[in-house]
Amino acid sequence: MSAVELTPPEAARWAARAGLVLPAERHAAVAAVANHIHSVVAVLRELDFADVPPAAAYRAGEEKHDAAV
Amino acid sequence: MQPYELSLAAAADAIRARRLSPVELVDSVLDRIEKAEPHLGAYVTVAAEQARRAASEAEHEAAQGRYRGPLHGIPMGLKDLIDVSGMATTASSRVRAGHRATADSTVAARLSAAGAILLGKTHTHACAFGLTTPQTRNAWDHGRVAGGSSGGSAVAVASGTATFALGTDTGGSIRVPAALNGVVGLKPTYGLVPRHGVTSLSRSLDHVGPVTRTVEDAALVLTALAGHDPRDPASLSVPAADYRPVAGTDLTGLRIGLPRTYYFDNVHAQVGTAVRHAIGQLEALGAQLVEVDIPMTRYIQATQWGLMVPEAGAYHEGSLRTVPELYQEDVRILLEASELMSAGDYLRAQRSRTLMRAEWARMLEEVDVIAAPTVPMPAVGADEETVTWPDGTVEGVSDAYVRLSSPANITGVPALTVPVGHDAAGMPIGMQLLGRPLGEPTLLRVGHAYEQTQPARALATAA
Repeated sequence: MSAVELTPPEAARWAARAGLVLPAERHAAVAAVANHIHSVVAVLRELDFADVPPAAAYRAGEEKHDAAV
Repeated sequence: MQPYELSLAAAADAIRARRLSPVELVDSVLDRIEKAEPHLGAYVTVAAEQARRAASEAEHEAAQGRYRGPLHGIPMGLKDLIDVSGMATTASSRVRAGHRATADSTVAARLSAAGAILLGKTHTHACAFGLTTPQTRNAWDHGRVAGGSSGGSAVAVASGTATFALGTDTGGSIRVPAALNGVVGLKPTYGLVPRHGVTSLSRSLDHVGPVTRTVEDAALVLTALAGHDPRDPASLSVPAADYRPVAGTDLTGLRIGLPRTYYFDNVHAQVGTAVRHAIGQLEALGAQLVEVDIPMTRYIQATQWGLMVPEAGAYHEGSLRTVPELYQEDVRILLEASELMSAGDYLRAQRSRTLMRAEWARMLEEVDVIAAPTVPMPAVGADEETVTWPDGTVEGVSDAYVRLSSPANITGVPALTVPVGHDAAGMPIGMQLLGRPLGEPTLLRVGHAYEQTQPARALATAA
């Protein structure tokens, strides 16, 4: 296990901080899946984003009218 | 040929010419369901009596000269994430026990207005969070996976238990099961088909689209589905259009991108051969092949996961705290782990998406369509969890199935899968056509041209 990986007790504590109480028997499995997800998404840290904005769309002043079906 | 074997377009022509009544068609498909469904497990619910009543009304309308269009009297299935007023939307999960939709989703309302007849709700991998749909068996081999998450829709269309169906696609969930069952699947441009009333997996990646027997059929369904709905914040304001492709097969002047990277890496040899052969057919129709390099391939999976996992976690946040034991285990653990991702992880994925969309837009200035495999391998056995590639790489089955389809979800570009043959075991192979945003007419034209050069496909034979 690398130094950045969550241990089962850490996974439980992080989940509790998020308001999710994990049963003790799930701590190890959740930590393992969380560590795997982290290993996949961590590669995005290689990218130089500079001023690149997040893609999430937001437009002020959205028009309102009835839906057409 | 029995009515249940007809394509949507053929059934529509027969109904319009009064050679076939909606009652005959619906009865034929319901009989087919009675015979085949026990072996397939494609449906959560079949609403036979409701369908027969609707068919009778459609026949009455037709007799009075009121013809709603090509979907008039056509029986279809809806993936059970799609709300129909008065029916449960189960998401194939116990979490939804006791659910009852109080209104139609936009797509259900539009299909109903167009005259389509609901047969029932089709199975999804639980909560749409998976690529196999274990409740449902592949239409060509009951020992193999249906693919997912719209597995029920694809199997129903492939086996004649629905003339068409709708699915949803967050990382490939229309295209993967369509390819694995030998039918057509279209993931439209993000925002072209409204998602109001459709259970979400991941808001920024979710799409709704048709699963059909032919490309022309997909175009007919898309024509009924597309159009703005302000209740979906991603819905695009585009004018209504008729997507039915022209009859000709001449592709002269069309530039087809042949990926040099990514889409043919770690792909089953027979899949690669069948797709390249089909691309050769497109060239023979006059298209010009142009090699392209797929951008940012190292970041595709990271971006997909960085968007999908936190968005799914957000959607399920409440029920994960109140009824966690009702989730299927493979879904529950992903949702629990999603709570441990940081906002930074999610924002990096959104910024990566900005870069990827720009790179794909540049690539799609050079070509009109990209042609590639839909999935790296045909349907695997239901108990297989990994695939080992010739270079020694071991890949999870779900990771492999999502690998070639997720770029279109991240970037929002339209993607169409078309059957292009079978492997030595008789399992279907799909070719994926990807286009520019709102480039559906081009994709449908190319797919339809290809289909016109091929013999008509028969229904799946295993059922």
